Amino acid sequence: MEPQLSWYLALSAVLFTIGVTGVIIKRNVIAMFMCIELMLNAVNLTFVAFSSFFHDVTGQLFVFIVMTVAAAEAAVGLGIIITIFRNRETLDVDEASILKL
Amino acid sequence: MLVLLFILFAGMAIGCALAVVAQRNPLYSAISLIGVFISLACLYVMLAAPFIAAVQVIVYAGAIMVLVVFVIMLLNVEEEERRRQRLKFLVPAAVVLSAVLIAEVAFILVTVQESRVTPVSDGSSVGLTHSIGSELFTQYLLPFEITSILILMAIVGAMTLARRGGPLSPNARIVPGATQIPLSLVDPAVGHESTLAVEAETTEEAARLLGLNQLHEPPKRD
Repeated sequence: MEPQLSWYLALSAVLFTIGVTGVIIKRNVIAMFMCIELMLNAVNLTFVAFSSFFHDVTGQLFVFIVMTVAAAEAAVGLGIIITIFRNRETLDVDEASILKL
Repeated sequence: MLVLLFILFAGMAIGCALAVVAQRNPLYSAISLIGVFISLACLYVMLAAPFIAAVQVIVYAGAIMVLVVFVIMLLNVEEEERRRQRLKFLVPAAVVLSAVLIAEVAFILVTVQESRVTPVSDGSSVGLTHSIGSELFTQYLLPFEITSILILMAIVGAMTLARRGGPLSPNARIVPGATQIPLSLVDPAVGHESTLAVEAETTEEAARLLGLNQLHEPPKRD
């Protein structure tokens, strides 16, 4: 018996749900950021699983582009986090309720 | 054998993902997240996608997480202190929403009939660097180029955000409503390379603001 496609999809769904839960309950902005990365990775796993089971390389190209977007997001997001911390001396998202750096 | 490996890596991924959410110290969360990335890379290898697995380790576990850990250490983040939460309803809301999400997926996985698909076998070229590269630079060239522009924008945006202050350096003392005078005009000794600037109405005022005792003579031009 080999791992089925549905197993990978179920694992991906579990990881995505854990990421969503983290984004909702975390208050530290860096922790929320890492939970978003977790959700992106769950989606990547779906892409690779479909790509492998349907013998089509397109899914892996999507993963490649998702990784690039994640890297860009990390750079800009961490820049925003540093700016918020510099101006507010806190990383709590509840404190940063004004849309102004 | 493959089933055992799947269970091992899936368990590792889920355990580390739970640790990411459960840890209070962001640094421990980051380490756990690296565990998730590594176990996902192992799953990619099992799915016959060695290129994506390598990129996962290099880009995610390498570059992005180093950036995150660097920022955590730079900002010297303390552990989240347990204090009265303003938004108390968020935790039960998260539990309910995640239960709904899992239930949806479970319903789909149970009810939908699976198609008879088999994973990529040994002889296939799907997932190798060659096939990914040839697709990426022929059929998907436009997304690739757009992605490169996106990265360029991210570089500019990150630099703009992370730079301290505006066009003036933070050492400059700013007088509102006055004009900007570069320091090299006031004090030639600092040279023209200095980017330091003050705002003042006159050169003398700028010199006073900067705490210079006497004005230097402007340099002789040869």
